Amino acid sequence: MGGLSQLRRRIVHAVVGMGKPAAGFLALLLLWQWGAPLAGIPRYVLPLPTAIAARFAETFAVQLAGLAATGLTTILGLTLALVAGVLMALVVIYVPLLRTLIMPLLAAFNSIPKIAVAPLFVIWFGLGIESKILLAFLLALFPVFVNALTGLGEIEPDLLDLSILAGGTPWRIFMKLRLMNAVPYITDALKVAFPLALVGSIVGEFIGGNEGIGHLILAGQFDLDTPLVFAALASITAFTTLGIGAIAVFERAVLRWRPSQRGR
Amino acid sequence: MPPAVVIAGVSKSFGATVALEDLSFDVPHKSFVSIVGPSGCGKSTLLRMVAGLIVPSRGAITVRGETVRAPIRGVGMVFQSPALLPWRSTLGNILFVAEMGGLKSAHHRGRAEELMALAGLAGFEQSYPHELSGGMQQRTSICRAMLLKPPLILMDEPFGALDVITRERMGFALQTLWSESRSTVLFVTHSISEAVLLSDIVVVMTPRPGRIRDVVAIELPRPRESAILRDARFLALSARVRDGIEAQPWAD
Repeated sequence: MGGLSQLRRRIVHAVVGMGKPAAGFLALLLLWQWGAPLAGIPRYVLPLPTAIAARFAETFAVQLAGLAATGLTTILGLTLALVAGVLMALVVIYVPLLRTLIMPLLAAFNSIPKIAVAPLFVIWFGLGIESKILLAFLLALFPVFVNALTGLGEIEPDLLDLSILAGGTPWRIFMKLRLMNAVPYITDALKVAFPLALVGSIVGEFIGGNEGIGHLILAGQFDLDTPLVFAALASITAFTTLGIGAIAVFERAVLRWRPSQRGR
Repeated sequence: MPPAVVIAGVSKSFGATVALEDLSFDVPHKSFVSIVGPSGCGKSTLLRMVAGLIVPSRGAITVRGETVRAPIRGVGMVFQSPALLPWRSTLGNILFVAEMGGLKSAHHRGRAEELMALAGLAGFEQSYPHELSGGMQQRTSICRAMLLKPPLILMDEPFGALDVITRERMGFALQTLWSESRSTVLFVTHSISEAVLLSDIVVVMTPRPGRIRDVVAIELPRPRESAILRDARFLALSARVRDGIEAQPWAD
Protein backbone atom coordinates (compact mmCIF):
# COMPACT_ATOMS: atom_id res chain seq x y z
CA MET A 1 0.00 0.00 0.00
CA GLY A 2 2.81 2.33 1.01
CA GLY A 3 4.57 1.69 -2.31
CA LEU A 4 1.44 2.47 -4.30
CA SER A 5 0.70 5.73 -2.52
CA GLN A 6 4.33 6.66 -2.87
CA LEU A 7 4.13 6.01 -6.61
CA ARG A 8 0.97 8.13 -6.83
CA ARG A 9 2.67 10.92 -4.91
CA ARG A 10 5.63 10.72 -7.29
CA ILE A 11 3.38 10.95 -10.36
CA VAL A 12 1.47 13.88 -8.88
CA HIS A 13 4.80 15.48 -8.00
CA ALA A 14 6.10 15.03 -11.56
CA VAL A 15 2.91 16.41 -13.14
CA VAL A 16 2.86 19.38 -10.78
CA GLY A 17 6.59 19.82 -11.47
CA MET A 18 5.97 20.03 -15.22
CA GLY A 19 2.74 21.94 -14.68
CA LYS A 20 4.37 25.17 -13.52
CA PRO A 21 6.70 25.73 -16.50
CA ALA A 22 3.94 24.59 -18.88
CA ALA A 23 1.48 27.07 -17.35
CA GLY A 24 4.08 29.83 -17.64
CA PHE A 25 4.69 28.96 -21.30
CA LEU A 26 0.95 28.93 -22.01
CA ALA A 27 0.53 32.32 -20.33
CA LEU A 28 3.34 33.72 -22.48
CA LEU A 29 1.68 32.39 -25.65
CA LEU A 30 -1.67 33.94 -24.66
CA LEU A 31 0.00 37.25 -23.92
CA TRP A 32 1.70 37.08 -27.30
CA GLN A 33 -1.52 36.12 -29.14
CA TRP A 34 -3.62 38.92 -27.61
CA GLY A 35 -0.93 41.46 -26.73
CA ALA A 36 0.95 41.71 -30.04
CA PRO A 37 -2.01 43.10 -32.05
CA LEU A 38 -2.91 45.49 -29.20
CA ALA A 39 0.67 46.77 -29.16
CA GLY A 40 0.44 47.28 -32.91
CA ILE A 41 3.35 44.97 -33.83
CA PRO A 42 3.09 44.12 -37.54
CA ARG A 43 2.45 40.45 -38.38
CA TYR A 44 5.56 40.18 -40.55
CA VAL A 45 7.69 41.22 -37.56
CA LEU A 46 6.05 39.01 -34.96
CA PRO A 47 3.51 36.57 -36.38
CA LEU A 48 0.82 35.27 -34.02
CA PRO A 49 1.31 31.88 -32.37
CA THR A 50 -1.78 30.56 -34.19
CA ALA A 51 -0.30 31.63 -37.55
CA ILE A 52 3.01 29.95 -36.68
CA ALA A 53 1.19 26.76 -35.69
CA ALA A 54 -0.77 26.81 -38.93
CA ARG A 55 2.37 27.35 -41.02
CA PHE A 56 4.07 24.55 -39.09
CA ALA A 57 1.22 22.18 -39.89
CA GLU A 58 1.26 23.16 -43.59
CA THR A 59 4.99 22.67 -43.91
CA PHE A 60 5.22 19.63 -41.65
CA ALA A 61 6.78 17.38 -44.31
CA VAL A 62 9.35 20.04 -45.24
CA GLN A 63 10.15 20.60 -41.56
CA LEU A 64 10.75 16.89 -41.05
CA ALA A 65 12.99 16.67 -44.13
CA GLY A 66 14.89 19.75 -42.93
CA LEU A 67 15.34 18.28 -39.45
CA ALA A 68 16.55 15.02 -40.95
CA ALA A 69 19.24 16.82 -42.95
CA THR A 70 20.32 19.12 -40.09
CA GLY A 71 20.08 16.31 -37.55
CA LEU A 72 22.28 14.04 -39.65
CA THR A 73 25.12 16.54 -40.05
CA THR A 74 24.82 17.55 -36.37
CA ILE A 75 24.98 13.99 -35.07
CA LEU A 76 27.77 12.98 -37.46
CA GLY A 77 29.77 16.08 -36.52
CA LEU A 78 29.19 15.45 -32.81
CA THR A 79 30.16 11.77 -33.10
CA LEU A 80 33.36 12.65 -34.93
CA ALA A 81 34.12 15.30 -32.29
CA LEU A 82 33.58 12.73 -29.53
CA VAL A 83 35.93 10.21 -31.11
CA ALA A 84 38.57 12.75 -32.13
CA GLY A 85 38.38 14.71 -28.86
CA VAL A 86 38.91 11.60 -26.72
CA LEU A 87 41.71 10.32 -28.99
CA MET A 88 43.47 13.69 -28.91
CA ALA A 89 43.20 13.78 -25.12
CA LEU A 90 44.71 10.27 -24.94
CA VAL A 91 47.61 11.28 -27.18
CA VAL A 92 48.30 14.34 -25.05
CA ILE A 93 48.17 12.29 -21.82
CA TYR A 94 50.23 9.29 -22.95
CA VAL A 95 52.82 11.00 -25.20
CA PRO A 96 54.36 13.85 -23.18
CA LEU A 97 56.52 14.86 -26.16
CA LEU A 98 53.44 15.50 -28.28
CA ARG A 99 51.81 17.38 -25.43
CA THR A 100 54.29 20.24 -25.68
CA LEU A 101 53.84 20.19 -29.46
CA ILE A 102 50.06 19.90 -29.67
CA MET A 103 48.83 22.09 -26.83
CA PRO A 104 50.06 25.49 -28.16
CA LEU A 105 48.86 24.57 -31.67
CA LEU A 106 45.43 23.70 -30.35
CA ALA A 107 45.26 26.88 -28.29
CA ALA A 108 46.11 28.94 -31.38
CA PHE A 109 43.62 27.01 -33.48
CA ASN A 110 40.90 27.49 -30.90
CA SER A 111 41.31 31.25 -31.06
CA ILE A 112 40.20 31.24 -34.72
CA PRO A 113 36.44 31.86 -34.86
CA LYS A 114 35.41 28.67 -36.66
CA ILE A 115 32.30 30.22 -38.16
CA ALA A 116 34.43 32.83 -39.89
CA VAL A 117 36.25 30.15 -41.86
CA ALA A 118 33.02 28.46 -42.95
CA PRO A 119 33.10 30.04 -46.45
CA LEU A 120 36.53 28.49 -46.89
CA PHE A 121 35.09 25.04 -46.21
CA VAL A 122 32.54 25.62 -48.97
CA ILE A 123 35.40 26.36 -51.38
CA TRP A 124 37.29 23.27 -50.23
CA PHE A 125 34.50 20.78 -49.76
CA GLY A 126 31.63 22.15 -51.82
CA LEU A 127 28.01 22.77 -50.96
CA GLY A 128 27.28 19.19 -49.92
CA ILE A 129 27.03 17.57 -46.53
CA GLU A 130 30.83 17.54 -45.95
CA SER A 131 31.32 21.22 -45.21
CA LYS A 132 28.40 21.15 -42.73
CA ILE A 133 29.72 18.10 -40.90
CA LEU A 134 33.16 19.69 -40.73
CA LEU A 135 31.78 22.87 -39.20
CA ALA A 136 29.66 20.95 -36.67
CA PHE A 137 32.70 18.82 -35.83
CA LEU A 138 35.04 21.77 -35.31
CA LEU A 139 32.61 23.62 -33.05
CA ALA A 140 31.95 20.52 -30.93
CA LEU A 141 35.56 19.36 -30.76
CA PHE A 142 36.97 21.70 -28.14
CA PRO A 143 34.56 21.16 -25.29
CA VAL A 144 34.91 17.40 -25.78
CA PHE A 145 38.71 17.55 -25.94
CA VAL A 146 39.11 19.81 -22.90
CA ASN A 147 36.75 17.77 -20.73
CA ALA A 148 38.22 14.45 -21.88
CA LEU A 149 41.67 15.78 -21.02
CA THR A 150 40.55 16.65 -17.49
CA GLY A 151 38.57 13.45 -16.97
CA LEU A 152 41.21 11.08 -18.32
CA GLY A 153 44.20 12.99 -17.03
CA GLU A 154 43.41 14.33 -13.61
CA ILE A 155 43.42 11.23 -11.44
CA GLU A 156 44.07 11.50 -7.71
CA PRO A 157 47.80 10.65 -7.33
CA ASP A 158 47.03 8.32 -4.41
CA LEU A 159 44.76 6.26 -6.68
CA LEU A 160 47.49 5.93 -9.30
CA ASP A 161 50.02 4.84 -6.63
CA LEU A 162 47.51 2.37 -5.24
CA SER A 163 46.84 0.92 -8.70
CA ILE A 164 50.55 0.54 -9.46
CA LEU A 165 51.21 -1.20 -6.12
CA ALA A 166 48.24 -3.51 -6.78
CA GLY A 167 49.96 -4.58 -10.00
CA GLY A 168 47.86 -2.51 -12.41
CA THR A 169 49.00 -2.62 -16.04
CA PRO A 170 48.64 0.57 -18.13
CA TRP A 171 45.64 -1.04 -19.85
CA ARG A 172 43.86 -1.89 -16.59
CA ILE A 173 44.63 1.57 -15.20
CA PHE A 174 43.11 3.05 -18.34
CA MET A 175 39.98 0.89 -18.30
CA LYS A 176 39.24 0.84 -14.56
CA LEU A 177 40.50 4.27 -13.54
CA ARG A 178 40.95 6.84 -16.31
CA LEU A 179 37.98 5.92 -18.47
CA MET A 180 35.58 5.61 -15.53
CA ASN A 181 36.81 8.91 -14.13
CA ALA A 182 36.21 10.58 -17.49
CA VAL A 183 32.58 9.48 -18.00
CA PRO A 184 30.90 12.37 -16.12
CA TYR A 185 33.25 14.90 -17.75
CA ILE A 186 32.39 13.58 -21.21
CA THR A 187 28.62 13.53 -20.66
CA ASP A 188 28.90 17.12 -19.41
CA ALA A 189 30.88 18.01 -22.53
CA LEU A 190 28.23 16.46 -24.77
CA LYS A 191 25.56 18.70 -23.27
CA VAL A 192 27.60 21.73 -24.35
CA ALA A 193 28.90 20.27 -27.62
CA PHE A 194 25.53 19.17 -28.97
CA PRO A 195 24.03 22.67 -29.34
CA LEU A 196 27.38 23.87 -30.71
CA ALA A 197 27.38 21.16 -33.38
CA LEU A 198 23.85 22.27 -34.26
CA VAL A 199 25.09 25.85 -34.70
CA GLY A 200 27.79 24.51 -37.02
CA SER A 201 25.26 22.63 -39.16
CA ILE A 202 22.86 25.58 -39.43
CA VAL A 203 25.59 28.10 -40.27
CA GLY A 204 26.80 25.63 -42.91
CA GLU A 205 23.29 25.56 -44.35
CA PHE A 206 23.09 29.37 -44.32
CA ILE A 207 26.23 29.56 -46.40
CA GLY A 208 25.21 27.14 -49.09
CA GLY A 209 23.19 24.14 -50.11
CA ASN A 210 19.48 23.59 -50.38
CA GLU A 211 18.73 21.32 -47.45
CA GLY A 212 18.13 21.53 -43.74
CA ILE A 213 16.50 23.82 -41.23
CA GLY A 214 19.06 26.56 -41.93
CA HIS A 215 18.00 26.55 -45.58
CA LEU A 216 14.33 26.63 -44.54
CA ILE A 217 14.96 29.69 -42.32
CA LEU A 218 16.75 31.46 -45.19
CA ALA A 219 13.91 30.63 -47.59
CA GLY A 220 11.38 32.06 -45.10
CA GLN A 221 13.45 35.22 -44.73
CA PHE A 222 13.73 35.59 -48.54
CA ASP A 223 9.93 35.47 -48.93
CA LEU A 224 9.31 37.55 -45.79
CA ASP A 225 7.48 34.44 -44.59
CA THR A 226 8.09 35.15 -40.89
CA PRO A 227 5.69 32.40 -39.68
CA LEU A 228 7.83 29.87 -41.60
CA VAL A 229 11.00 31.18 -39.91
CA PHE A 230 9.35 30.82 -36.50
CA ALA A 231 8.00 27.36 -37.37
CA ALA A 232 11.53 26.26 -38.36
CA LEU A 233 12.86 27.68 -35.08
CA ALA A 234 10.23 25.67 -33.20
CA SER A 235 11.33 22.48 -35.02
CA ILE A 236 14.97 22.99 -34.20
CA THR A 237 14.18 23.82 -30.56
CA ALA A 238 12.22 20.60 -30.25
CA PHE A 239 15.16 18.72 -31.77
CA THR A 240 17.66 20.28 -29.32
CA THR A 241 15.41 19.54 -26.36
CA LEU A 242 15.12 15.90 -27.43
CA GLY A 243 18.88 15.62 -27.92
CA ILE A 244 19.74 17.13 -24.54
CA GLY A 245 17.05 14.94 -22.96
CA ALA A 246 18.62 11.83 -24.50
CA ILE A 247 22.03 12.81 -23.11
CA ALA A 248 20.47 13.39 -19.67
CA VAL A 249 18.76 9.98 -19.73
CA PHE A 250 22.05 8.33 -20.69
CA GLU A 251 23.81 10.25 -17.94
CA ARG A 252 21.31 9.19 -15.31
CA ALA A 253 21.69 5.55 -16.34
CA VAL A 254 25.51 5.59 -16.28
CA LEU A 255 26.11 7.89 -13.33
CA ARG A 256 23.81 6.44 -10.71
CA TRP A 257 26.65 6.78 -8.18
CA ARG A 258 26.85 10.55 -8.55
CA PRO A 259 25.55 12.38 -5.45
CA SER A 260 23.75 14.91 -7.65
CA GLN A 261 21.85 12.09 -9.39
CA ARG A 262 20.15 10.99 -6.19
CA GLY A 263 16.49 11.64 -5.56
CA ARG A 264 15.72 12.54 -9.14
CA MET B 1 62.79 -14.58 10.87
CA PRO B 2 64.78 -11.73 9.24
CA PRO B 3 63.31 -8.22 9.51
CA ALA B 4 60.53 -7.45 7.04
CA VAL B 5 62.01 -4.05 6.22
CA VAL B 6 65.59 -2.86 6.66
CA ILE B 7 66.28 0.83 6.25
CA ALA B 8 70.03 1.37 5.99
CA GLY B 9 71.59 4.85 5.86
CA VAL B 10 68.74 6.32 3.81
CA SER B 11 68.77 10.02 2.84
CA LYS B 12 66.45 11.85 0.49
CA SER B 13 66.81 15.33 -0.94
CA PHE B 14 64.44 17.23 -3.21
CA GLY B 15 66.64 19.77 -4.96
CA ALA B 16 68.39 21.71 -2.20
CA THR B 17 65.94 20.54 0.48
CA VAL B 18 67.10 17.61 2.58
CA ALA B 19 63.94 15.77 3.59
CA LEU B 20 65.49 12.78 5.36
CA GLU B 21 69.04 12.30 6.62
CA ASP B 22 70.84 9.07 7.37
CA LEU B 23 67.90 6.99 8.59
CA SER B 24 68.52 3.45 9.78
CA PHE B 25 66.11 1.09 11.49
CA ASP B 26 64.58 -2.36 11.13
CA VAL B 27 60.94 -3.34 11.03
CA PRO B 28 60.70 -6.86 12.51
CA HIS B 29 58.63 -9.48 10.72
CA LYS B 30 54.88 -9.29 11.59
CA SER B 31 55.39 -6.29 13.86
CA PHE B 32 53.53 -3.00 13.99
CA VAL B 33 55.96 -0.10 13.80
CA SER B 34 54.90 3.56 14.03
CA ILE B 35 56.87 6.57 12.89
CA VAL B 36 55.97 9.66 14.92
CA GLY B 37 57.17 13.16 14.25
CA PRO B 38 56.08 16.69 13.52
CA SER B 39 54.60 17.66 10.14
CA GLY B 40 57.21 18.08 7.45
CA CYS B 41 59.73 15.58 8.84
CA GLY B 42 59.58 13.40 5.73
CA LYS B 43 57.49 10.57 7.17
CA SER B 44 55.39 10.23 4.02
CA THR B 45 58.51 10.38 1.86
CA LEU B 46 59.93 7.47 3.83
CA LEU B 47 56.78 5.38 3.26
CA ARG B 48 56.83 6.11 -0.45
CA MET B 49 60.47 5.02 -0.59
CA VAL B 50 59.67 1.75 1.21
CA ALA B 51 56.91 1.12 -1.36
CA GLY B 52 59.39 1.80 -4.16
CA LEU B 53 57.35 4.72 -5.51
CA ILE B 54 60.38 7.02 -5.12
CA VAL B 55 64.06 6.14 -4.77
CA PRO B 56 66.38 7.25 -1.93
CA SER B 57 69.15 9.72 -2.75
CA ARG B 58 71.55 7.63 -0.65
CA GLY B 59 71.37 4.37 1.26
CA ALA B 60 69.18 1.34 0.59
CA ILE B 61 65.89 -0.14 1.66
CA THR B 62 65.38 -3.88 1.76
CA VAL B 63 61.92 -5.43 1.90
CA ARG B 64 61.78 -9.16 2.68
CA GLY B 65 65.40 -9.62 1.72
CA GLU B 66 65.26 -7.74 -1.58
CA THR B 67 66.57 -4.25 -2.28
CA VAL B 68 63.73 -1.95 -3.35
CA ARG B 69 64.31 -0.50 -6.83
CA ALA B 70 60.80 -0.24 -8.29
CA PRO B 71 57.23 -0.16 -6.92
CA ILE B 72 56.71 -3.39 -4.94
CA ARG B 73 53.71 -5.19 -6.29
CA GLY B 74 51.32 -6.37 -3.60
CA VAL B 75 52.23 -3.93 -0.84
CA GLY B 76 49.08 -2.71 0.92
CA MET B 77 48.72 1.06 1.15
CA VAL B 78 46.42 3.33 3.17
CA PHE B 79 46.57 7.08 2.61
CA GLN B 80 45.42 10.04 4.68
CA SER B 81 42.52 10.46 2.26
CA PRO B 82 40.40 7.33 1.79
CA ALA B 83 41.18 7.43 -1.99
CA LEU B 84 37.99 5.53 -2.87
CA LEU B 85 36.49 5.39 -6.36
CA PRO B 86 33.21 7.33 -6.21
CA TRP B 87 31.63 5.17 -8.93
CA ARG B 88 32.19 1.90 -7.07
CA SER B 89 30.24 0.50 -4.13
CA THR B 90 32.05 -0.11 -0.83
CA LEU B 91 32.49 -3.77 -1.73
CA GLY B 92 33.61 -2.85 -5.26
CA ASN B 93 36.21 -0.49 -3.82
CA ILE B 94 37.65 -3.20 -1.58
CA LEU B 95 37.80 -5.61 -4.53
CA PHE B 96 39.47 -2.96 -6.71
CA VAL B 97 43.00 -4.05 -5.70
CA ALA B 98 42.22 -7.63 -6.77
CA GLU B 99 40.94 -6.48 -10.18
CA MET B 100 43.90 -4.14 -10.66
CA GLY B 101 46.19 -7.09 -9.98
CA GLY B 102 44.40 -9.07 -12.69
CA LEU B 103 42.69 -11.40 -10.20
CA LYS B 104 39.08 -12.56 -10.33
CA SER B 105 37.19 -10.38 -7.87
CA ALA B 106 34.61 -13.15 -7.32
CA HIS B 107 37.32 -15.26 -5.62
CA HIS B 108 37.95 -12.53 -3.05
CA ARG B 109 34.40 -11.54 -2.33
CA GLY B 110 34.09 -13.77 0.73
CA ARG B 111 37.27 -12.37 2.26
CA ALA B 112 36.10 -8.81 1.52
CA GLU B 113 32.80 -9.47 3.30
CA GLU B 114 34.61 -10.93 6.33
CA LEU B 115 36.83 -7.87 6.55
CA MET B 116 33.84 -5.57 6.24
CA ALA B 117 32.12 -7.38 9.10
CA LEU B 118 35.25 -7.05 11.26
CA ALA B 119 35.45 -3.35 10.42
CA GLY B 120 31.79 -2.78 11.31
CA LEU B 121 30.80 -2.20 7.70
CA ALA B 122 28.37 -5.12 7.31
CA GLY B 123 25.22 -3.96 5.52
CA PHE B 124 27.02 -1.22 3.60
CA GLU B 125 28.38 -3.48 0.83
CA GLN B 126 26.37 -1.74 -1.88
CA SER B 127 26.63 1.82 -0.54
CA TYR B 128 28.62 4.38 -2.51
CA PRO B 129 31.51 6.19 -0.77
CA HIS B 130 29.61 9.50 -0.57
CA GLU B 131 26.94 7.72 1.47
CA LEU B 132 29.49 6.73 4.16
CA SER B 133 30.91 8.79 7.04
CA GLY B 134 34.60 9.75 6.99
CA GLY B 135 35.44 7.00 9.48
CA MET B 136 33.59 4.38 7.43
CA GLN B 137 35.35 5.50 4.26
CA GLN B 138 38.72 5.12 5.95
CA ARG B 139 37.78 1.67 7.32
CA THR B 140 36.85 0.71 3.75
CA SER B 141 40.26 1.85 2.63
CA ILE B 142 41.93 -0.26 5.37
CA CYS B 143 39.88 -3.31 4.34
CA ARG B 144 41.02 -2.73 0.77
CA ALA B 145 44.66 -2.70 1.89
CA MET B 146 44.16 -5.97 3.79
CA LEU B 147 42.12 -7.82 1.15
CA LEU B 148 44.95 -9.81 -0.39
CA LYS B 149 46.70 -10.45 2.98
CA PRO B 150 49.79 -8.49 1.93
CA PRO B 151 52.97 -9.28 3.87
CA LEU B 152 53.56 -5.52 4.28
CA ILE B 153 51.06 -2.69 4.75
CA LEU B 154 52.08 0.96 4.72
CA MET B 155 49.77 3.50 6.37
CA ASP B 156 50.31 7.21 5.89
CA GLU B 157 48.44 9.09 8.65
CA PRO B 158 45.27 7.15 7.89
CA PHE B 159 43.27 8.82 10.67
CA GLY B 160 44.72 12.31 10.18
CA ALA B 161 41.51 13.73 8.72
CA LEU B 162 39.17 12.31 11.37
CA ASP B 163 37.84 13.88 14.58
CA VAL B 164 39.39 12.82 17.90
CA ILE B 165 36.54 10.55 19.03
CA THR B 166 36.29 8.72 15.70
CA ARG B 167 40.05 8.53 15.60
CA GLU B 168 40.31 6.69 18.90
CA ARG B 169 37.65 4.16 17.85
CA MET B 170 39.43 3.69 14.51
CA GLY B 171 42.59 2.78 16.41
CA PHE B 172 40.80 -0.11 18.12
CA ALA B 173 39.16 -1.15 14.82
CA LEU B 174 42.58 -1.23 13.17
CA GLN B 175 43.98 -3.33 16.01
CA THR B 176 41.17 -5.88 15.47
CA LEU B 177 41.79 -6.02 11.72
CA TRP B 178 45.54 -6.26 12.17
CA SER B 179 45.40 -9.05 14.74
CA GLU B 180 43.39 -11.06 12.20
CA SER B 181 45.80 -10.52 9.29
CA ARG B 182 49.12 -10.12 11.09
CA SER B 183 50.79 -8.33 8.22
CA THR B 184 53.86 -6.28 9.00
CA VAL B 185 52.66 -2.67 9.32
CA LEU B 186 54.62 0.54 8.98
CA PHE B 187 52.37 3.28 10.30
CA VAL B 188 52.96 7.03 10.07
CA THR B 189 51.15 9.29 12.54
CA HIS B 190 51.59 12.41 14.58
CA SER B 191 49.35 11.18 17.37
CA ILE B 192 51.46 9.93 20.29
CA SER B 193 48.71 7.95 22.00
CA GLU B 194 47.72 6.32 18.69
CA ALA B 195 51.34 5.25 18.09
CA VAL B 196 51.77 3.82 21.61
CA LEU B 197 48.38 2.09 21.56
CA LEU B 198 48.93 0.29 18.25
CA SER B 199 52.66 -0.36 18.02
CA ASP B 200 55.34 -2.80 18.99
CA ILE B 201 57.96 -0.16 18.22
CA VAL B 202 57.66 3.63 17.96
CA VAL B 203 60.29 5.51 15.96
CA VAL B 204 60.44 9.20 16.94
CA MET B 205 61.73 11.58 14.27
CA THR B 206 63.10 15.12 14.27
CA PRO B 207 61.82 17.91 12.00
CA ARG B 208 63.41 18.63 8.64
CA PRO B 209 65.80 17.14 7.85
CA GLY B 210 64.16 14.07 9.36
CA ARG B 211 66.46 12.03 11.57
CA ILE B 212 65.76 9.39 14.19
CA ARG B 213 65.58 10.84 17.70
CA ASP B 214 64.45 7.81 19.67
CA VAL B 215 63.25 4.24 19.21
CA VAL B 216 60.79 3.11 21.89
CA ALA B 217 59.79 -0.54 22.31
CA ILE B 218 56.17 -0.83 23.45
CA GLU B 219 55.95 -4.02 25.46
CA LEU B 220 52.33 -3.82 26.52
CA PRO B 221 50.19 -6.98 26.40
CA ARG B 222 47.78 -7.45 23.50
CA PRO B 223 44.93 -7.11 22.77
CA ARG B 224 44.99 -3.60 24.18
CA GLU B 225 41.65 -2.26 25.29
CA SER B 226 40.50 1.22 26.14
CA ALA B 227 41.43 0.74 29.83
CA ILE B 228 45.08 0.69 28.79
CA LEU B 229 44.86 4.38 27.85
CA ARG B 230 44.86 5.07 31.64
CA ASP B 231 47.46 2.43 32.53
CA ALA B 232 50.64 3.75 34.17
CA ARG B 233 52.93 1.88 31.74
CA PHE B 234 51.04 3.32 28.77
CA LEU B 235 51.34 6.83 30.20
CA ALA B 236 55.05 6.39 30.91
CA LEU B 237 55.73 5.22 27.34
CA SER B 238 53.63 8.09 25.93
CA ALA B 239 55.63 10.52 28.06
CA ARG B 240 58.89 9.16 26.70
CA VAL B 241 57.69 9.57 23.10
CA ARG B 242 56.42 13.05 23.96
CA ASP B 243 59.81 14.01 25.42
CA GLY B 244 61.43 13.01 22.13
CA ILE B 245 59.05 15.25 20.21
CA GLU B 246 58.95 18.22 22.57
CA ALA B 247 62.72 18.53 22.69
CA GLN B 248 62.53 19.65 19.07
CA PRO B 249 62.34 23.08 17.46
CA TRP B 250 59.62 23.94 14.92
CA ALA B 251 60.09 22.45 11.48
CA ASP B 252 59.40 25.75 9.77
